[in-house]
Amino acid sequence: MRTERLVGWILALLTTILVVGNQQDVGVARDEIVYMQHGSRYAEWWLGLVTLDHGIGKATVTKTWGGPGATDNNREHPPLIKTLFGLSEKLFHDGLGVDEVTAYRLPTAVLHGVCVLLVYLMALALWGFAEAVAGALLLMLLPRALFHAGLAAFDAPIMTLWFASIYAYWKCLDGRKWPWQAGVVFGLALATKHNAFLLPFAIGTHYLVLGVRNRAAGWRGIVLHRWRLIVSFVVLGPLTLVAVWPWLWFDTFQHVRDWVAFHTTHVHYNFEYLGDNWNAPRFPWHTALVTTLFTVPLVTLAGAALGAVSWWSRRAQVTDLSRAPGLLLALSAAASIGPFFLGTTPIFGAEKHWMPALPSICLVAGVGVVWAARLAIGFIDTLRPVPARGRAAILGGVVALVVAAAAVETVTAQPYALTWYSALAGGAPGGADRGMNRQFWGVAARGVLPVLAAEAPPAGSPPRPVYTHDASPAWGLYQRLGLVPGTLPDAGREQVGIDRSKLAIVIHEKHFNRHDYLVWKSYGTVQPIFVLRAHGVPIVSVYRRP
Amino acid sequence: MESSDEAGRVVPRRLHVVPVLLLVAIAAWEILATRCSATSVPGDPAWAKAAQFVRAGYQPGDLIVFAPGWVDPVGRMHLGDLIPIEVAARMDAARYGRIWELSIRGARSPDTAGLTPVAITRGAGIEIRRYERTPVEVVADLRDRVTTARVEGGGGGPTVELAEVGFAPHRCLQVVPTAGVPLRITFPGVPLGTELVGYVGIADVFTRRDNRAPAQLDVELGGQVIASATAGVDDGWIRFAAPTTPGTAEVTFIARASSAHRLICFAAEARR
Repeated sequence: MRTERLVGWILALLTTILVVGNQQDVGVARDEIVYMQHGSRYAEWWLGLVTLDHGIGKATVTKTWGGPGATDNNREHPPLIKTLFGLSEKLFHDGLGVDEVTAYRLPTAVLHGVCVLLVYLMALALWGFAEAVAGALLLMLLPRALFHAGLAAFDAPIMTLWFASIYAYWKCLDGRKWPWQAGVVFGLALATKHNAFLLPFAIGTHYLVLGVRNRAAGWRGIVLHRWRLIVSFVVLGPLTLVAVWPWLWFDTFQHVRDWVAFHTTHVHYNFEYLGDNWNAPRFPWHTALVTTLFTVPLVTLAGAALGAVSWWSRRAQVTDLSRAPGLLLALSAAASIGPFFLGTTPIFGAEKHWMPALPSICLVAGVGVVWAARLAIGFIDTLRPVPARGRAAILGGVVALVVAAAAVETVTAQPYALTWYSALAGGAPGGADRGMNRQFWGVAARGVLPVLAAEAPPAGSPPRPVYTHDASPAWGLYQRLGLVPGTLPDAGREQVGIDRSKLAIVIHEKHFNRHDYLVWKSYGTVQPIFVLRAHGVPIVSVYRRP
Repeated sequence: MESSDEAGRVVPRRLHVVPVLLLVAIAAWEILATRCSATSVPGDPAWAKAAQFVRAGYQPGDLIVFAPGWVDPVGRMHLGDLIPIEVAARMDAARYGRIWELSIRGARSPDTAGLTPVAITRGAGIEIRRYERTPVEVVADLRDRVTTARVEGGGGGPTVELAEVGFAPHRCLQVVPTAGVPLRITFPGVPLGTELVGYVGIADVFTRRDNRAPAQLDVELGGQVIASATAGVDDGWIRFAAPTTPGTAEVTFIARASSAHRLICFAAEARR
């Protein structure tokens, strides 16, 4: 058993290494810049607090964590992960010389490894070693999730903290006296991203279903069968959130209300789906379904479908029947993805917003793949007895082939994974044919930096301003990293910036077409000098003023 | 899923291999399909060769289009010098007698709908189709007469803009009527043919998002409304047309919007 658990840790480490390696070629997302900057400030504040440089007065807290505006000091997002970004940058960049971007992104990469570990451990406990390895590898080899895990953002971390909450709750259903872990992890999830508000729907429903099984004990049996867990969630969850978020240390209710209100009244960003640009409800009910079909490897989805069938047909064999883990995983996925079927929940960002459903899918996929292989082994055994080594070879071969398919999709997707779609959609070109969203956050601009650098005048010459479009927030960082020469300053925003520029980039998204036209008008030409493509699909155009 | 043999032993059925065969087939297909789709779109050498072919046969006034629409930036990179802004931001393709269509993945451009190519050349994944037809004869383009426009009602006079309407470029007359007050734009002495054809839409994706009200455009000739079009925020570039009697007349466009800051973009041609 110790060896088996060690394998889980090795898979987690491999996942983190894979994410860190992969993000080296991924450009800096627009929002990352904001989270990095505020993360550094949050980290400095905590370090200042422990070194007694300042206290915890309202003024000092507000200066770093809040303010009167809805987005002052990025107070619209909880701070846990941003704080980790900042601490990581201080430790690994300032202290150990790791490059700045990697240092900021390291916490997300580590958390992704943790998510793989948790899926592994749960599958190991419920089904066995083979299922655990298969499920963990399928989670590791999700193209979009791997991409998001390489960004200093919230989406991969909330997947981990969401699943960690589910895992901790499941573990704490064992009747332990002090189930503090469940509440604390839930609090950390709340401090990561507001998706965590949906967790009670999954956990609460599951808890009540277990209670109904216990209905002979009356309503107390239904509601209070694990009352300590309720206390843990209700008390420790909010306390943990408040503990890591100084902005909630005063005017707590008002600040929580502001936080929730920001997201319930969030502007609808533009997002392309099946050929149409969506920026207002009602959104198509099938967005989450189709997008998941097109962004999770088909083999993983097929494994999950088989896994669901096998889980149901063998539910009596589950080692942990009393805690209904299959139901818990299903509810976890449903609570995460369910709101996107309503037609009113914003769909921008698409699959990154329901990533917490993925651990359930991959864990069940691992079960399905192994079940299918074992069924086949059983059949072959009736024709000709298969020795143990042969059984292992067949099982290993099936798992390896399935994992290889997911791996090929994952490798193909990088570094422009937001433009990638699965084989079911026809890859990136198929996604473009179907009018699926091309990309967002300006990440792809990184790919044209060498083209722009080749256009740079030598040092000391007059600068050639660049209209940097959606890469504008990252431009200073790109210059600091030496990817953009100092003689290529950012020209500024919109038409004024374009008119001032000598070079321009346009990042291709449907609603960004207007930027092409603004450049045409100013430059007097429709001809870019370079078009960056992902598998033939245009993602960034570069223009030079004639 | 299981049955027993004569000795009572549990024997898996042949169906038991179906799940694994399904998985193996999907995995094998996914590996091949992923690699195939990743290399299925022609690269720059193919485009350079196609561009060379088009240049050899290109005549001034030809229209060059690319299909599917998403490959347009690549096409413009190779042939953009033959596509003036006015052509890229055309009202429609009716005035072009020769059209070159560079297509990948079997796609067709909306500009060649209903046409049959007179020549097709295929090479390295790009199909070059040439279409020839009798173009419409434009006797007056209202965009060229903007300085003659007379304005009454709510809002300022039209300006000629290169605008994004329905996520496509259109050179158009742009007006912003006062909410609830019709804006009348009159063009005096317009030479007319047998038909007046035009398009209308709402410019700018962000104003379309923030203001969901539609735009209305009526066309008046001799005090009679001869055409009307309503453009919603998701409708794009809406066509309208009306028969006309050849001669010279005053043409009035009446733009309406129920809310402020509605950027109404329109273009119209009198055709023989």
